[in-house]
Amino acid sequence: MSKATPMKVALAAFTLTTALSATGALAETPSWCGPNEASLALLDGFGGNSWRLVTTASGAEEAAKCPSITQYEYADGQGNTQKAISDINSMAARGIKALVVFGDAGPAVLPALTNAHRSGAIVVPYRVDVGGKEGENYAKFIGSSFVEDGKSWGNWIKETLPEGGNILFLSGPAGNSQGLDELKGMKEVLDDKYVFVNPEPFAVTNWDPALTQQVLSAEIAKNDKIDVIVSDFGPSLVGALPVFKEYGRSIPALATSDGNSLACFWEENKDANPDFKLFTVATGNDNVRLAVQWAVALATGGTPPADEIFKAPVYENSVTGTPNPVTCRKDLPGAIYLSAELADDAQAKAVGQ
Amino acid sequence: MIDNSPLANDPSPFPDLRQVRFARGFVTVLMSTLVLLLVCLMVAPSSVSAGALSGSLPFAAIIAIVGLGQMLVVQQGGFDLSLPGSVSLAVVIATHLPSGNDAQLLPAIGLAVVCAIVAGIANGFLVGVMRLNAIIATIGMNALLYGAVFAVSGGVPRITTPLMSAIAGGKVAGIPNSILFAVALMLLVSFVLKKTVVGRRFEAIGANPAAAHAAGLRVRLHQTMAYVYAQLLYCVAGILISGITREPTAFQGDSLLLPSVAVVVLAGTSLLGGRGYPISTVIAAFFLNQLSQFALAVGVPFSAQTIIQALALVFGIGVYSVRWRRSARTRSN
Repeated sequence: MSKATPMKVALAAFTLTTALSATGALAETPSWCGPNEASLALLDGFGGNSWRLVTTASGAEEAAKCPSITQYEYADGQGNTQKAISDINSMAARGIKALVVFGDAGPAVLPALTNAHRSGAIVVPYRVDVGGKEGENYAKFIGSSFVEDGKSWGNWIKETLPEGGNILFLSGPAGNSQGLDELKGMKEVLDDKYVFVNPEPFAVTNWDPALTQQVLSAEIAKNDKIDVIVSDFGPSLVGALPVFKEYGRSIPALATSDGNSLACFWEENKDANPDFKLFTVATGNDNVRLAVQWAVALATGGTPPADEIFKAPVYENSVTGTPNPVTCRKDLPGAIYLSAELADDAQAKAVGQ
Repeated sequence: MIDNSPLANDPSPFPDLRQVRFARGFVTVLMSTLVLLLVCLMVAPSSVSAGALSGSLPFAAIIAIVGLGQMLVVQQGGFDLSLPGSVSLAVVIATHLPSGNDAQLLPAIGLAVVCAIVAGIANGFLVGVMRLNAIIATIGMNALLYGAVFAVSGGVPRITTPLMSAIAGGKVAGIPNSILFAVALMLLVSFVLKKTVVGRRFEAIGANPAAAHAAGLRVRLHQTMAYVYAQLLYCVAGILISGITREPTAFQGDSLLLPSVAVVVLAGTSLLGGRGYPISTVIAAFFLNQLSQFALAVGVPFSAQTIIQALALVFGIGVYSVRWRRSARTRSN
C-alpha cells in the first residue's frame, strides 16, 4: 500500500496535467495555425541591434504558438547582401516550407525569393519593400504603414499646437522610403500653418546617435524657433536632445517611436523643460508577428489573418495619458521596447542584459 | 637638398623664413580654415555661433585624435584600416562592461587600453616584421576587432555611465573637455615627435627606412610601434565618444575612417611616409568638421557630407602633388 499510493497519486497528477495542457493547447491554438505540419525559417538581412533582437525573439515566440510548426530556423544576413541571398537559397534547398524574410537589401534579394517561391516554398517578405508581385515572386508581402505613423504624429501635432508651428523632421539615410511615407502621412493631416524647417524631405541622420547630435545642433543654431521635433527613431535622440541646454532653450515637443531609454529620458528631463511633451507610436517589432501568422497560415492550411498590413498603434502620450502615459522602466535595459508584445523580461533576455 | 631632409629641420623656437617655407602644409590648412570661417560668418553665421560650436567641436576633437593616430602610421608609409573596429571596440567596452556603474569604469578603460595595445602589436608585427601589405593586414585586424565588438555587445547599444558622460561631455571654463583632450594629445605627439630622440628617429625612419637602417636605427621596432601608438589614440577617441554620445551604437567607428585619412593628407603628411604635422592635422580636423557644419547650415543634404570629405581629400592630395612638381622643376632649373 505504502508503495502503491504515491504511484496512484503520480498517475492521477500526470493524467490531470496532460488533460489540462491538451485543453490549454486546444484553446490557445490560433485560427491561423492549420493542421498540416510544416517547417518555418526567419531570415534577417541584419540582426545586430536591439530592435532586431527583440523582433527576432517576437517572431520565434509567434511561431511557437502553432504546434504544427515542427521545425524553426533562423539566419542572420549580418548586413551582407550576398550572405542574405545565400541564406534564402540554402533554406529553400533544405526544403523549409515557410520563409519569413526581412529583406534589408530590397530588390537585391528578389531573385532568391522568386526561386524559393517557384520551388514551392511559402515566401513572406515583410516591412521592407523588395519589389516584385504577390503570387509571382512570393506568396504575400506584409508591409508596415509608415503613412499611418505620419498621420498619427500629424494629428497629435495639431492637438498640441493648434495655432501652427515649426516642425523639424529627422529620419534615417537619405531617400529612405520610410521617411518619405511618414512625411506623406503628416502632410495629409497638416496644413500650411505648419512649416517644415528641415531641408526637403527630411534631415538625414542615418539613425546614428552621433550624427543625430551633430545634425540637431546645426538645426537648432539655424532655427530660432522649433516647436516640435518629429523623428522615426526616438531612442537615437536621447544623446542629442541635451543640445538644447547649450542654447538655453527648452526641449520642444517630440513626436516619435517608443523606446525605454527615451521614456526614461523624458522622466528625467520633463521638469527642467516645460515644452517637452512626448508622443510615441509603437516602434513596430510586432510587424514580424503578422508576417509569421500569414506564413504559417499558408503553410499549414490555417485561416490567414484579416490584416495584410501592419499598422503601428499609438503608444504613449504625455499630454493626455491615453492610450498610455509615458512609461519608464529603470529596472530594465534602455534598449528595449515596451510597446512590443514580447514580455519585458523576455526582451531583456533577448538583448542579452 | 639639406632643406628636404627631415633631420635638418632645426627645431629652433624662433621662426625664420626657412621654416615658413617648410611649413607650407600648415600655412595651406590654416589659410583654408580662416577662409572657411570667413565664409561661414558671411553666408551661414549660425554655423559659427557659440551653441553650434560647442555642439560640433567635440566631434572635431574625435576626428583630430584619430587623425593623429592615422598620421603616425602614414608617416611610416602605412595605412591603418583597423580604425573603425578599434574605435568601436573601445566604445562598447567603455559602455557595456560598466553598464551604467561608475565604479566599473576604470577597469573597463584599463581593458580597452590592453585591447588596443594587443591589436597594435598584432598590426605592427604583421606589417613591420612579417612585411605584409599594411592595407590587407589592417583590414583583417578590423574584422577581428569587429568580432570582439559583437562578442562584447551583441551589436546592442548601452547607455554610458554618468562619470564618463561628465568627463568627456563636460566643460572647463566653457570649453568642452574633449577639446582639451585633443589639444593635450596634440601637444604630446608634437613634443615626442619633434623634441625627443625617439621621435626624431621615428620621422627619419619614415622618410627613408633604408638610410635609417644603414644608420643603425631599429626600423622594424619603430614601424611596429607606430601601429601601437595609433591604436592607443583610437582607443582614447572611442572612450571619449562613449561619453560624448549618451547611447553610442556598436558601430561608432565606421564613419571615422575617411575623415582620419583626409585630415592627415590635408595637413600635408606624405602618403609615402616621412614628416608628420600634428598641429596641422588638428587644424585640418577642425576645418573638415566646420565644412560639414557649414554644409548643414546652408542646407546641403547630409548625404553630401561624404562627398565633401572625399573632395577635401582630393584637394589635399592635389595641393601636395602640385607643390612637389613645382619644387622639382625649380631644382632642375
